Amino acid sequence: MGADIAAERIERLAELAAAATDEGEFDRSREYVRLARRLAERHRLSLPRSFARSTCDACDVYQRPGVNVRVRVQRGRVIRRCDCGATARYPYRD
Amino acid sequence: MALTPDTLTRHELNGLPVRVADAANPDLVGISGRVVIETMKTFHVDDGRRVRQVPKEGSRFEFAIRNTDDAARASVAPAADEAAGAAEASGSVSQLGTETAGVRPGKSGPSAAPRSQGRGASQHDGDGSPRADECEDTVYVTVDGTRLLSRPAARTERGGDSTWQSD
Repeated sequence: MGADIAAERIERLAELAAAATDEGEFDRSREYVRLARRLAERHRLSLPRSFARSTCDACDVYQRPGVNVRVRVQRGRVIRRCDCGATARYPYRD
Repeated sequence: MALTPDTLTRHELNGLPVRVADAANPDLVGISGRVVIETMKTFHVDDGRRVRQVPKEGSRFEFAIRNTDDAARASVAPAADEAAGAAEASGSVSQLGTETAGVRPGKSGPSAAPRSQGRGASQHDGDGSPRADECEDTVYVTVDGTRLLSRPAARTERGGDSTWQSD
């Protein structure tokens, strides 16, 4: 019962965090991301793939390419460098 | 589970348009805007000019829920089993109530007129201020702030409807 509400809360929080980043409210974006992660933890949900890929593991901010993350591709990997300096790499399929 | 008047106390409140219908501090009554941050005991409401912090305890909040047919269906039959004393102040209406208590600070006279004029003239008409268009699919839910006293992440687990008897 609670888990489906939690899943929807996580979706909403992802939208809110993206909007906050677009407006330059990075700390507010972090609050939303942290709340969504906590919800997933409490309800034993896995975060959506898009959410995990577009949030920074180090500083929790929701990343928007061109705003606060630089994205490049190298040797079969996507490399996302957040403005906080953290780098995330993950492979992509051709 | 969609965001309905029944599930509101367990759902995400960040981003929802809200109006402070009643508060222990009379200066806070009538604040309306979007919830930007929720803490355990307060809401931060962005009223377009600045972010106001409103305590949940002793306040009543009127949330506006957009769209969805199931929201309208739930408002036709509100939860009849809410017998707890704290829950009796909550309810949902399809129209905005006449805010007798909610005269906006700094404004005199009936506040029905500033709802149509003053809010349209204020600066947050652009970013989808959902009260500007009072369409039928908007449901206004009034919730006692004490029902929301919980950590934001824990509210989904045990928000509002405890199975234990409350006295």
